[in-house]
Amino acid sequence: MELFGSLQGLGVETATYAMFAMLLVLLVTGIPLAFVTLLVALIFALGWFGPMAVPLITSRVYSFVSSFVFVSVPMFVLMAAILDRSGIARDLFDAMKLVGGRLRGGVAIQTIIVAVILAAMSGIIGGEIVLLGLIALPQMLRLGYDRRLAIGVVCAGGALGTMVPPSIVLIIYGLTANVSIGDLFTASFLPGLMLAGFYVAYVLFRGWLNPEAAPALPVDNDTPTSEKLKLLRGLILPILVVIGVLGSIYGGIASVTEASAVGVLGVMVSTMLRGEFTLSLMKGAALQTLQTVGMIVWIGIGASALVGVFNLMGGLEFIQSLVANISDNRLVVLLFMMAILFLLGMFLDWVGIALLAMPVFVPIITDLGYDPVWFGVLFCMNMQVSFLSPPFGPAAFYLKSVAPPDISLGEIFKSLLPFIALQILGLAVLIAFPGITGR
Amino acid sequence: MTDVKDDIDHGASETPHRDEGGPIPQAGLLGAWISKGGIIFAIGIVAAMLILIQEVVLRYFFNSPTSWAHETTIFLSGIAFVYGGLYCVARDSHIRVVLIYDAIPPRVRRGFDVVISLVCAASSAMFAYAAWLMVERAAFTPQGDFRLERSGSAWNPVYPGALKVFLLAVLTVMALQFLILTINYARGKR
Repeated sequence: MELFGSLQGLGVETATYAMFAMLLVLLVTGIPLAFVTLLVALIFALGWFGPMAVPLITSRVYSFVSSFVFVSVPMFVLMAAILDRSGIARDLFDAMKLVGGRLRGGVAIQTIIVAVILAAMSGIIGGEIVLLGLIALPQMLRLGYDRRLAIGVVCAGGALGTMVPPSIVLIIYGLTANVSIGDLFTASFLPGLMLAGFYVAYVLFRGWLNPEAAPALPVDNDTPTSEKLKLLRGLILPILVVIGVLGSIYGGIASVTEASAVGVLGVMVSTMLRGEFTLSLMKGAALQTLQTVGMIVWIGIGASALVGVFNLMGGLEFIQSLVANISDNRLVVLLFMMAILFLLGMFLDWVGIALLAMPVFVPIITDLGYDPVWFGVLFCMNMQVSFLSPPFGPAAFYLKSVAPPDISLGEIFKSLLPFIALQILGLAVLIAFPGITGR
Repeated sequence: MTDVKDDIDHGASETPHRDEGGPIPQAGLLGAWISKGGIIFAIGIVAAMLILIQEVVLRYFFNSPTSWAHETTIFLSGIAFVYGGLYCVARDSHIRVVLIYDAIPPRVRRGFDVVISLVCAASSAMFAYAAWLMVERAAFTPQGDFRLERSGSAWNPVYPGALKVFLLAVLTVMALQFLILTINYARGKR
C-alpha cells in the first residue's frame, strides 16, 4: 500500500477529527507541546500529500523565525529577566507605599499599581508574579490580610503584564492576525487599566465589607518627610523606562522592535545607576532569555507547521464554515469563540492558542464585520483568564514556586476564582462597549 | 545615585534567591555541551539589542540608517530562537501538559519518559529530513555546487542560506539528544 497520500481517503472532516484526537492524546501524555504539533504536522503532510509538501512546512517555519517584529519578543523577555534580577521592582514597591497609605487594603492596592507599572515596562508575566510573590505577598500576610485576597491580588496583578502594552500576547496576535501591533497597543491601553481598576475596586469592597480581610497599615508618624522623598526615588527609573518604551512607539521614533531594545537599554542603564550591574547578572538574564524564547518560538514553529498543513488540506475552511454556521447571529458566534478560547485556556498556554486558533478565528471575525484589532484585545483579555484558570494556570504555578510552603496549589486556585469572575466581567464589558478600545 | 540601594529600609522584602537550573543528568555529555553552548547565542541576543539601539541612534539623530542592521538582528535572533529549542531539550524546560504525567507512580513515569523521548526523537528526525529538503535548495545550485542562498536585498548577505543550514544542524543534534535521553531513561540513569 502506498503510504504517502493514503490519509487523503479519509476526507477533510474525518481527517480534522483524527488530527484533533491525535493532538489531544499525544498532548495529555506529557509530550512537549512543540513536538506534538510538529509530529502531527509531519504525519499529515506526508500522509495527505507526500514528501513534496514537506518543504512547504519548512519554509513556513523559516519565515516564522525570521520576521522582524518577532525580534521584539527576546527583547521584552530580556528586559523582564534583567528587571527581576535587580532591586528596581522592590524599590518601586517601597515607593508606592506612599500611594497605598492608610487606606483599607492599601498594600493590596499598592501591589496592583506596581503590577501595572511593571506591566508597562515589559509585559512578561512569569517574572512579575514571582517578583510580587516575593515582595508583596509576605508583607500582606504579615499585616493579616485575608490569605485568599492576598494570593489573588498577586496572581491577577502579575498577569496584567500581558494586558497593558507592551505585551507579547498582543505582538504574537498581531503577527498571526496580520494587524498593526501599534494599533493593538493603543486599543488595549484602557481595557488594561479598566481591569486593574476592577481589581482595586474589589479590594476596596472587601475592605469595606470586612475590615479584617484587608487591614490598613498602622499609623506611622516616625518616618520623616525626607525619608518619604527618598522612597520616591524608586519611582524615577521605572517611569523613565516606561516613557522610553511607550514614548518611542507612540512618538513614532522607533518601531515596536526598536522600542523593545530601547527598553532593554533602559533597564540596563538603571541597574548600572543603581550599582547592581554585574556580568553574571547579565549572563543569567541572557541565558534565561534564550530558554524562554526557545520555549515560545518552538511552540510557534510547531503550531505554524501544523496550521500550514491543515490549511493546505482545506481544514481551515472546514472549521471556519463549522464555526460560522453555529448561528446567524454574529454575537452568538463571537461568544462561542470566546467559550472555545476559555476552554483551550484551561489546558494550553497562550502561545499555542494564539498560533493554533487565531488563523481560524480571525478570518471569521473579519467576515462577520468585526474589527480584528478589537478582537485582539478580547483575545488578550481572554488569555488573562487562561493564566489563572485551573488545571493549567501558569500564574498559580509561578506563585507556588515562591509562596510559603503551607499555601497549596488548590488554595491558590480557589483564591483566584473571584478574580477570574472580574476578568470575565471585563470581557463582557469589552463586548458590550467596544468603544473602550477606542475603535 | 549609585548608593540608592542600601539606604532604604526594605521591610521584609529580601533579595530573591535564584536557581538558574542546568541540564538534566539524563541528557548526558551532549546535554552539558548544549547547555554550555547557550552562552554564545545568549550573547547574540544582547548583540542584537545593541545593534537595534545604534540603528535608532544613527537613523534618528544622524539621519544615516545602515543597510545591515535590520537583517543582522533578524539573523542573530533567528539562530537564538532555533538554538533555544535545543537548549530547552537539554534542560527539559519545554512546555508540557503534565496533568496525567504528574499523577502516575514513578515507575510508570519512567516508561512514559522513554516513550516521550522516543516520540520526540522521531519528530525531530522527521523534521530534520524536511529541513534537509529545504537546505538542498538553499545551499546548492541545481548543478550541485555549494552556494548559500542570499537575501536579495541591497546588502545581500548569506543569512537565509546560513539560517536554513543552521536549522538542519540543530534538528540533527536535537534528534540525537532525544535518542540519548531515551537510552538514559531506559537505563534508569539519574
